[in-house]
Order: sequence, then structure tokens, then C-alpha cells
Amino acid sequence: MVLPLSLLRTAQNHPMLVELKNGETYNGHLVSCDSWMNIHLRDAICTSRDGDRFQKMPEVYVRGSTIKYLRIPDEVVEMVKDEVKEVRRQQKDNTRAKKNFQRGAGGNVGGPPRGGGAPRGGRGGQRGRK
Amino acid sequence: MTQALDTFMNKVISVITGDGRNIVGMMKGFDQTVNLILEDSHERVYSTQAGIEQVPLGLYIIRGDNVALIGELDEDIDKRLDFANIKAEPLGPIWVL
Repeated sequence: MVLPLSLLRTAQNHPMLVELKNGETYNGHLVSCDSWMNIHLRDAICTSRDGDRFQKMPEVYVRGSTIKYLRIPDEVVEMVKDEVKEVRRQQKDNTRAKKNFQRGAGGNVGGPPRGGGAPRGGRGGQRGRK
Repeated sequence: MTQALDTFMNKVISVITGDGRNIVGMMKGFDQTVNLILEDSHERVYSTQAGIEQVPLGLYIIRGDNVALIGELDEDIDKRLDFANIKAEPLGPIWVL
């Protein structure tokens, strides 16, 4: 299953159409969004409720709660799974890096940090080398 | 509560929105605020003058605030419908915001 907000995140840098609850629509490129669906569009064209007035706006920030729906390019739904996987991988790497950092910074209780099987004080240990 | 929407996953659903539109598409996702992802969606526009018009929309995220009703569509029955010859009164807004 894809979460709507993950799909929106994946749609960053893609063109999209946003209709607001007041009927106005904004066509532009998504710069960024957050977990409240607040969105930041670049080079947007605002169309009035009746579709008879247009205006160019180089920069628009839309509060999520005013949105009725978003129309997104079809191919984005295929990209979202890879993106979610990529984010998970990065998060894993981050936590791993953090753990290693903690170990390195005096957190090494109970023996050498790595290569635990090496005999203490022997020549093969990690310590004393540099 | 929204787990109930799981039964609609990857099925063709019909959504009635707060402004009285009818949008049909394959449900690809949802969240706890009933935001929906619809793939290959189209809008069905009803009129008493002409048959039902189907407007292709593509990939859509509908904000939960704007969802009035979700129903699973029976694709077999739906395929047999002759939309060009069905006339109906448009729904009109479900609520005013």
C-alpha cells in the first residue's frame, strides 16, 4: 500500500494540479511538502473558480487544510515504492552509523569494539595499532 | 477504524466528494485521515440533457476532508452499462465549506 503523503513526497519536482476548497486551481511544480499536506509550488498558474481568470505566480505556499485534491503525473505512482525503499535504507544506514559512533566515543563497554575474537594484548588486536 | 478501507485496496471504487462529484478509480492507498490515492481515475459527469460523460483524470490524491462516500464498484455490472444513454440529475454539493 502507498500512503498518500509518501506519494506526494515522491511527486517533488514534478508538475501537479491542486484544487482548493474554494474552487481555485493551481498548476505548478512541487518544490516541497510536509506531513500536513502543506505544499510549496514554483512557477504556478492560478485559475479562478469559474476558469475565466488566470494569473502567473512564481512562488505559492498552500496550507494543506485548504486542499480538495491533487492531480499528479501517472508515472509517479511507480516511482514511490523505490523512493520509500531508498528512505528506509538511508534511515538504516543512519542508525548504524550512530551506533558505531557511540561505540567509538567511549561507549565501548566490555571488550574491544570490533573483531571481538582477537586475544587481548596480542599483536592481532585492534588496539595499540595506528 | 480506517482499517475498514483495507477491503477497498486495489479495487475499483466510486467516491462521492463533498462538492458532489463522482470520481471512479483504482484505490492504491489511504491514511488515517481518509486521504485517498486513486489510479487511472475518471470523473462521471451527470446531466439530464445528455448521457454520462466520463472525464479522464489519471492519478489523484483526494484529501480526506473532501470525501463524503466510498463504495466498491462491481466492474462486471459497470462494463455492461451504456453510459451514453443514461441521463441523471447532477448530485449537487453534499456540504458547503
